[in-house]
Amino acid sequence: MSRIWALATNTFREAVRDRILYSILFFAFGVLVLSLAMQEVTIGDQAKVVRSVAQGAVDAFGSIIAMFLGISLVYKEIERKTVYTILSKPIARWKFVLGKYTGLVLTLWVEVLALTVLYTVLMTLQQRFPPPVLFVSMGTLMLELMLLTAWATLFSTFSTPTTAAAFTLAIFIIGHLADDIWLFGNQADSATVRQAARALYWALPNFELFSLRVEAVHEREVPWGRVGLALAYGAAYTSAVLTLAIAVFRNRDLK
Amino acid sequence: MSGTVVDQHSAETDVVVRTVGLRKVYRADFWKRAVVGLEGLDLEVRRGEVFGIVGPNGAGKTTTIKILTGLQRPTAGQAFILGHSCEEPETRKRMGFLPERPYFYEHLSARELLDFYGRLFDMPTRHRRERIDLLLERVGLTRFADVALRKYSKGMVQRVGLCQAILHQPDLVILDEPMSGLDPLGRALVRDLILEERTRGATVCFSSHILSDVQALSDRVAIIVRGRLRGVGTVASLIGDRVRYVELVVEGEVDVGGELVRRDGAVRTLRLPPDRADEAVRAVVQAGGRVLELLPVRDDLEAVLLGEVERAGPVDETRLGVL
Repeated sequence: MSRIWALATNTFREAVRDRILYSILFFAFGVLVLSLAMQEVTIGDQAKVVRSVAQGAVDAFGSIIAMFLGISLVYKEIERKTVYTILSKPIARWKFVLGKYTGLVLTLWVEVLALTVLYTVLMTLQQRFPPPVLFVSMGTLMLELMLLTAWATLFSTFSTPTTAAAFTLAIFIIGHLADDIWLFGNQADSATVRQAARALYWALPNFELFSLRVEAVHEREVPWGRVGLALAYGAAYTSAVLTLAIAVFRNRDLK
Repeated sequence: MSGTVVDQHSAETDVVVRTVGLRKVYRADFWKRAVVGLEGLDLEVRRGEVFGIVGPNGAGKTTTIKILTGLQRPTAGQAFILGHSCEEPETRKRMGFLPERPYFYEHLSARELLDFYGRLFDMPTRHRRERIDLLLERVGLTRFADVALRKYSKGMVQRVGLCQAILHQPDLVILDEPMSGLDPLGRALVRDLILEERTRGATVCFSSHILSDVQALSDRVAIIVRGRLRGVGTVASLIGDRVRYVELVVEGEVDVGGELVRRDGAVRTLRLPPDRADEAVRAVVQAGGRVLELLPVRDDLEAVLLGEVERAGPVDETRLGVL
């Protein structure tokens, strides 16, 4: 366990010393602050619009950072040959993948936390201290980012960052359209299309399960059952994708 | 390491590294032809020796090392370190490794990098810090210990690489081209460190293109050509005692035959077959010239290696073929 933690903290340190991460965070902070200006150009429930824009910014920039760091997580180690001095030590390959992944998740936690703090401060200054649903929605966002990162990690074990980026983006988009795929399947006349759509729905991730953005924006209560479902689904799906990533990486020859 | 493959032969014979019928076949992609990197390699490295691996580019030296360090899997055959399979991660706990042209995390300083590697070996914090200080001092990097590696020269990176290979005082140190790209001072440092490791009791296994270093350092040497072991033994046993030719340095214009190597005024250096040395010396003296030097030139590792490459013949096309 200590070796996985050593790998995780090194990955975290590498990420936080990367200037590009700060550039993305800077943009995210900028959008959050600018969301306050939305009330000046909005008709209707201004507070709700501000919350919607700010919540959307946290979601979007969280996903961008998860994809940006995840797609090159393992590939970069192989390309730069830094992996040689790691795997020639008593490190099993599954520990390497898990250590790198954990480090990235740590980075995402810190990033989401920083954005949440800023969001909370802005909301408190402009409106009032946000209700608990905001913090619950940030927790489920983290679950979503952990699953997205697991996919990016899987792709980075066998493809270049560009290909991995394309794959991960596709998964991200499809994952947010999962419910539409289900609806499309139900409305199809052909039994084959119906079955194919259902198979896709079950095989691909459903990121909408994690999304509590509407509830947070409208400050509605969230049933704990939904949070529990997101937690169980996230844990099971993330574990499955990581297991696949480990299996792929275990069979790689390092030339 | 319960439940792992244990090599009885290694345990009984005090062999630290053992490969049995090691074979490695590469295929770049599905449509390309397969290339045999190693073919039936049997090697044994004994405890406490410095073992050199030599061979031309593409001979299979790095492939052998990558299999020993668990970075690649053999297509066939087995490899053991200290009696345990190389594929078991825990086997590598007692091994240190410096890859060829090493790359390290450039966002870290040398101290941070070594600390990270020490943690991967489960070294206790205090011991880790003591060893890091000691090693950085030994390789002359104390002053730069907290500078990010991206600012290091190639030679400095190589020194950090050496430190990480011996940080946890392993029983076996494997170095892939450790002198590559180093200046004479750097090479001397590597030579000293190899000898210090042997004195400490470690076994050192290294590959190098700098044959004079291999010859000077190694207790035994393996010659690998085109994936096959072409010879293994002490340097003396490989080189033999045969005098290839003599170099005769004479003053005065006397014709004694031989091949002129160089001329410096009236002083000439001639290369002659060994059996003509006596006759040539007599001829110079009788003609009133002076013999300044008579030097027998024996085979060296380079000559042996070139001979083996020649004996191996042209590139064997049977090594290339679709699997």
